[in-house]
Amino acid sequence: MKQRARIRLIVIYVAAAIVLLGTVGPFLWLVSSSFQYERQLLNRPPQWLPNPIVLDSYREIFEGAVLGEASGVPYQSRIFLRSFANSFFVAGSVAAIAVLTGAYAAYPLARLDFRGRSTLLFGILASRLIPALSLAIPIVLVAKQIGMSDKIISLVFINLSFILPYVIWLLQSYFKTIPMELEDAGRIDGCSRLQVVHKIILPLSLPGLTSAGILAFLLTWGEFLFALLLSESPASYTSTVVVSLFATDVDVSFVSIITAGVISVIPPIAFALIFQRFIISGLLSGSLKG
Amino acid sequence: MQTRRETEQKEMSQGLMALLFSAPAVLIIAATILVPFLMAVFLSLHNWNLKRPGRERFIGLENYTDWLTDSDFWEPLRTTFTFAILAVVLIVFIALLISLLLNEKFPGRGVLRALLLVPWAIPSVVNALLWKWLLNPQYGLVNAIAFEIGIITEYQNVLGSMPSVMIWLVIAYSWIHIPLATLLLLSGLQTIPGDIYESAIVDGAGVWQRFLFITLPLLRPMLSIVIIFEMIFALKVFDIIFVLTAGGPADSTNVLGWTIYTETFRKLDFGAGSSVAMLLGAITLALAILFYVFLDRGVEQ
Repeated sequence: MKQRARIRLIVIYVAAAIVLLGTVGPFLWLVSSSFQYERQLLNRPPQWLPNPIVLDSYREIFEGAVLGEASGVPYQSRIFLRSFANSFFVAGSVAAIAVLTGAYAAYPLARLDFRGRSTLLFGILASRLIPALSLAIPIVLVAKQIGMSDKIISLVFINLSFILPYVIWLLQSYFKTIPMELEDAGRIDGCSRLQVVHKIILPLSLPGLTSAGILAFLLTWGEFLFALLLSESPASYTSTVVVSLFATDVDVSFVSIITAGVISVIPPIAFALIFQRFIISGLLSGSLKG
Repeated sequence: MQTRRETEQKEMSQGLMALLFSAPAVLIIAATILVPFLMAVFLSLHNWNLKRPGRERFIGLENYTDWLTDSDFWEPLRTTFTFAILAVVLIVFIALLISLLLNEKFPGRGVLRALLLVPWAIPSVVNALLWKWLLNPQYGLVNAIAFEIGIITEYQNVLGSMPSVMIWLVIAYSWIHIPLATLLLLSGLQTIPGDIYESAIVDGAGVWQRFLFITLPLLRPMLSIVIIFEMIFALKVFDIIFVLTAGGPADSTNVLGWTIYTETFRKLDFGAGSSVAMLLGAITLALAILFYVFLDRGVEQ
């Protein structure tokens, strides 16, 4: 029996090693490549670890952002940091507004008894079945007409509406797990509905609100289609757009392209690992990310 | 209770309250999803090309009939389904294997589960950039490994020809989609009570029999959900195509998502673009409903 237990463990760890390699391997190679000289990247066989650790491509991006054209670095490198800040602004605003408005919309769906409750919930969820590509066409047309194209505030607004259904769904299922007795106790003490939400539901839902906020941030950070279609200049480019400008340009050095990729995934990966418990619980109750 | 009833009376009806509470969120969703959807329907029934301004006019279903009688629709449709089916099969197969592994108890399991979030968190565009680098015809790691092991004698441009471009596109796409499928399947596995397995072992069932007669049937509801979700996602693939292949080589990876994009934003034919987008939406919806009914009925039996 002991022998069998040992074999079981060996099989498990061999399988785990393969999964580990497949999961983080490709990304670690990207990180390793970003710290090498361009000419080292062209080595055959490839050089696995950077030796020495080269920071030139990272410096390029900072110099480019500060010095602009005078730095002599490629256009994409110069505008990258600004797009990075734009991404933070858009994803952060979307997360904050989505959780705030989503919580108020989720409360009646979880707790109040009114006509059309299930219709409202179904309508909110069904809105996500419409492919974003078909909505993008009129949205871009209207945005251009009313002068809202090329503004990051438009990106906040658009992303918000795609994230809100998820957030509402997530929060209403979380609110349902809060014991009704607590709410009743508050009502007996004379709290109004609004006070019940503010003093009982929201404080008790902090884990759920955190999950929803982090997921909203991550999904918005990775959004590409609308970021591409609604931006025309560095003022409104997000990091995914600049990464695509890098990736589709054959004249930029590999190491610059790779470094941009690495920097643009630092926030989402750091968030994902730091808040993994919140994310996994949120994912399992909401089933997200398309 | 007396106090509660009094408070209740002082307040407005629950319906009105629900309306006020959900108004901001609902208005935002309506303004950016419902209104554009109706406009997209409107555009799809019109001749609306930005290259020929002033000639917009209502043409009924002409855009639709044009697409449905044109190989420019059927070819991308076939490519879309080829891509989606391959991707769903790969994602579900690998995710099932990983979730079975993570369902076992062993030291380090939590760490492995957490690291699954690394590919999940990578935006699709960065993922495309990563694979563009891995598959580079002169310096890519995939080429280097295959060459060093001796599988190939010279470096290949896998994105330059069929069928390798489709295979690698599917792999690259699947890489960031496997983690969520894995986590969902794992949560499904964890609802299967352990004593069913124990009694099966007592009855002399082997590993394979336990998987086939216990795990698979009990996992079926979650498996159906994952398959439907992944199918819906894969049918509207766009980001990775934009960066990795731009529909090429020679239209071999021209999926409907790419057709919609080029038709609308390069040829500036908003009417044609809207109608093909509607067709893709209708196909996706019909398929989702069909799967749902079909798989759901299977579960009941």
